[in-house]
Amino acid sequence: MKHAGLKRRDFLKATAIGGAAVALGGSAYVGLRRLTTAKAESETKVVKTNCRACIANCGVLAHVKDGRVVKLEGNPEYPMSRGALCAKGLSGIQALYHPNRNKYPMKRVGKRGENKWKRVSWGEALDEIAQKLMETRAKYGAETVFASTGGGGNPQFPSISRFCNAFGTPNWFEPGCAQCYLPRTVAFALMYGAPMGGQGSDTSIADSNCLEIYFPDDTPMKSLVLWGTAPSSNSPAGGGRALAELRARGVRTVAIDPRLTADAAKADVWLPIRPGTDPALMLAWVRYIIEHKLYDAEFVMKWTNLPFLVNPDDKMCLKAKDVGLGGDDRTYVVWDKKTNSARPMPFPWDDRLDPALEGAYTVAGKECKTGFQHLKERAEPFTLEKAGEICWLEPAKIEEAIKIYADRPSGCSLGVATDQNPSSAQSAMGVAVLELIMGNVERPGSLLQRFVSPPPVADVVDLRGLLTHEQLLKRLGAIEYKGLLQWWAAQPTAVLDAILTGKPYKPRVWIERSGNKMATLGNSSAWLPAIEQLDLIVHMYMYPTSFSAYADILLPATEWLETDLPVVSANMLFARQAVTHTYETMNETLFWSKLAKRCAALGHEGCQAACDPEKALGAAGPGGGDPSQKPASFPYWDTEEEFLDICMAKLGMTWKEFAAKAPFEFASYGEWKQYHVYKKLDAKTGRPRGFDTPSGKCEVYADAFVKLGRTGLPFAPAPMPPASRDYDPLPYYEEPFESPTGELGKRYPLVMTNGRLPYYHHTTLRNIPWLRSIYPVPEIWIHPSDAEKYGVAHEDWTWVESQRGKITARARVTEGIAKGVVYMERFWNPETLDTPTHGWREMNVNVLTKNDAPFNDVFGTYTLRAFLVKVSKADGPPKGVWYKPADFKPWLPDLGDATNPTRQVEV
Amino acid sequence: MATTKKRYALIIDLDRCIGCCGCEVSCKQENGVAVDVVWNKVREEGPHVNADAGRGVEHYFLPTVCQQCDEPQCVKVCPTGASYVREDGTVLVDREICIGCKYCMMACPYGVRSFNREMKVVEKCTLCVQLQAVGEPPACVKNCVAKARFFGDLGDKASEAAKALAAAGEENAHSLPDVGNRPRTRYILHAKTATWRS
Repeated sequence: MKHAGLKRRDFLKATAIGGAAVALGGSAYVGLRRLTTAKAESETKVVKTNCRACIANCGVLAHVKDGRVVKLEGNPEYPMSRGALCAKGLSGIQALYHPNRNKYPMKRVGKRGENKWKRVSWGEALDEIAQKLMETRAKYGAETVFASTGGGGNPQFPSISRFCNAFGTPNWFEPGCAQCYLPRTVAFALMYGAPMGGQGSDTSIADSNCLEIYFPDDTPMKSLVLWGTAPSSNSPAGGGRALAELRARGVRTVAIDPRLTADAAKADVWLPIRPGTDPALMLAWVRYIIEHKLYDAEFVMKWTNLPFLVNPDDKMCLKAKDVGLGGDDRTYVVWDKKTNSARPMPFPWDDRLDPALEGAYTVAGKECKTGFQHLKERAEPFTLEKAGEICWLEPAKIEEAIKIYADRPSGCSLGVATDQNPSSAQSAMGVAVLELIMGNVERPGSLLQRFVSPPPVADVVDLRGLLTHEQLLKRLGAIEYKGLLQWWAAQPTAVLDAILTGKPYKPRVWIERSGNKMATLGNSSAWLPAIEQLDLIVHMYMYPTSFSAYADILLPATEWLETDLPVVSANMLFARQAVTHTYETMNETLFWSKLAKRCAALGHEGCQAACDPEKALGAAGPGGGDPSQKPASFPYWDTEEEFLDICMAKLGMTWKEFAAKAPFEFASYGEWKQYHVYKKLDAKTGRPRGFDTPSGKCEVYADAFVKLGRTGLPFAPAPMPPASRDYDPLPYYEEPFESPTGELGKRYPLVMTNGRLPYYHHTTLRNIPWLRSIYPVPEIWIHPSDAEKYGVAHEDWTWVESQRGKITARARVTEGIAKGVVYMERFWNPETLDTPTHGWREMNVNVLTKNDAPFNDVFGTYTLRAFLVKVSKADGPPKGVWYKPADFKPWLPDLGDATNPTRQVEV
Repeated sequence: MATTKKRYALIIDLDRCIGCCGCEVSCKQENGVAVDVVWNKVREEGPHVNADAGRGVEHYFLPTVCQQCDEPQCVKVCPTGASYVREDGTVLVDREICIGCKYCMMACPYGVRSFNREMKVVEKCTLCVQLQAVGEPPACVKNCVAKARFFGDLGDKASEAAKALAAAGEENAHSLPDVGNRPRTRYILHAKTATWRS
């Protein structure tokens, strides 16, 4: 048989995408896409937009035909992903056209939890919510209304806070926050002076910092430590791609992770640390670095506060004026070796002085140690051997890892791992200490950078000024855990306890705008008795989740392919554009605005102020972006376009103009990538700019934490009562509460950790056929020696139990996990949504996690990782759970007439 | 059936591959592969304990896909001529001729052919011939987040695939076991990353 040349017929046959295939398959395929490639290109419109399947924003080219998205590809212009898209992003098309989307606002008609609904209009839904909110406020106080959000599923974080500020409730929370990222943003804000949300403010790759890594041909970086982070899992197309490029260019890496992630498997050294012991290892690194003088001596002396003497009474660095040595607010006391006396050190430096870095000296009758001395003493007990014993590591491997890190320029990227247990603050401070003493600051090759900030166009700004101090003081958990103030959030367990006990007051209405709280909140079963007591629960999301089953009103949210919002990447601005629109889904920026306007119409003075141009102006909080560029706030809007046009006003164009022309460079690559910002001269003072901390130096001895605990400053607008105990200015180590070496370890011998997979973000996308067919059910990773000990074989269905509950997972017996440790990622089963489990009780590791005390002292972090479990063989999978690829067919895209790009939601 | 001059193939760099499975999904999107069928599957090798390795263990991801053999057994055993070698050397299946006997699936040493239950035919990776026809590389290559996949004519030194292979050096280029079928697809893996075991 002859096959000469290629005809169109050939490739239609070769790819099985003729019209016949679709007609035959019924549900097998999204549209007649093949024909669009073969026929004239003009029939398909290619729209530039940006993904939001996770918290990165990778550039996307969406192919749209007759209003229907038919294909997604990466946009090569996007500097962080360069034309690549991960499995999550590519699945946007299956998410958009999922047959089980929330299509219309729905109201519960059965009993709560019975999952029976009727369709209502947006107007009815909004009226009912607004009226209930106003009634609740009048009867019980605004603080009894609370909201929540989370990182999964296209969220617009500041929208929540903004609405709560306007409504006068201090209470919103998310399961992330103290458990995800906040500990790091606070540590780097207080110690490095980083603006929250700035590019390069901290060393989180997953949160789109560390921009130096995305330009591998232009960086002298020699080594990179991945501490509790796996870019190949959390951001494959961004950080994962960048790491692959850096490794290919010879950058050496260290992975500190109990799990052999893709990045650990390619690292030069893998340290499979025992979960929850990170501060011990960090202190050992500090000790080794000090002992071997591997730190950057000049930077430490001139640009950190470590030479300053510390007042032993209040633990704060001594200011010269406090001991009669004069000087301004940035003049501290050092011990001058030349004159053997305490001398004032003005900012930035006095060449006449030769300050002692180590030691204790008597000043004004008190023995004062230098900050460096305090740090050295704190690290002293943590020899390599000691750390090896605590962290279950080989001392020689620890040493090898430190030596790689010491090969500068280097960086240490700290991931979410350490945010997920009560050592969150100490771990974040530990990495900040390391990066700052190594002088890994604003150099070519370092992660901490202050590249030119983008214009403030990309976020809603909150309205902190509308929340009175009286209401702020009612925030649940905020006085004890003042680190939460940076994000302006409440502590989840404090909210739960308040519902259950009525103390200090009983929260009554919950507006939840994210995915599946039953799968993300620690010890999720604990929330059931609270849920029963609430007067109203509203859930806004793209599709129903386990949490929806307990709600009274369901609101349909837009998928990212239906969402407009400006996006920043490196030195460029992009437009996430609504490529199409389905059913009656609404963007949350509009939902919160409409709700605020309704409350305003019902007489709410705070919401009225939020709708008033003059009053809203000036109430803007520091959330989102460089405070020096803080945009004037703006009143609530009536349409999406109005909101977007306000965002774009700074650029002097409308949203439509912007979206049509995007991307833009807001600075040329060369201008944007500015190094050594701290050395730049301030035109006003003629002195170097320094760092945005009280001293102008990197505050490695972080007395700002002491002040935060006592007053809430700098995040609270006015002083608040102190926490029950002082926060520590230096990292310290405490054995995890559920310790494998303690009594509980005899009954629950294994330490549980979690961690990202490249196919899912948080608890999203478990309803996507493409992704579930790759990773159908959660694996529990267990070392072969433990598997043998507990009678579990590879791929066995396995019971996993903690003191709080029991679930099922499938065993993956692997050398890729530390002995004594097991790993699972969060999961829920949308396929059992309509059963009594509502999909969250079968395989959800958060049934096992711990949400009660002890919490982290600064943030109130509870325990999602580093708690104890036991495993045993189970008979089979949980009832109703899907795990064969063909099982997922019912979730293939709905080819019904869902799409009407011009349809507006009538409210 | 003779080998052709052109030798189109994928070169897959396992030093770079991070196992994200983006290639699996981009393949399904581009080719309309059924949810329970995989043309391009990312498998894993290891982890295996190796005390000499800096990380103590060795592991790599192994994307498996039609190896585009120079002596394709699938073509030899096909009773109808549905499995054929196109002029440019690409092994394809003509679905109008395939009778779904699955002999080719049994003959393939790599298990990379699958059965389309709806059309009752065998199918596999086509190197996205439809994209090649409009001047684009296969979807998995275009989308690969780690830039670990290269496509081109191995006989053309200027092709991306040939360049990647030459840069790696023959000692770092591996093939899946050859039982006389002469797979064209090559995998780049340096000993520094892991020992080749596949």
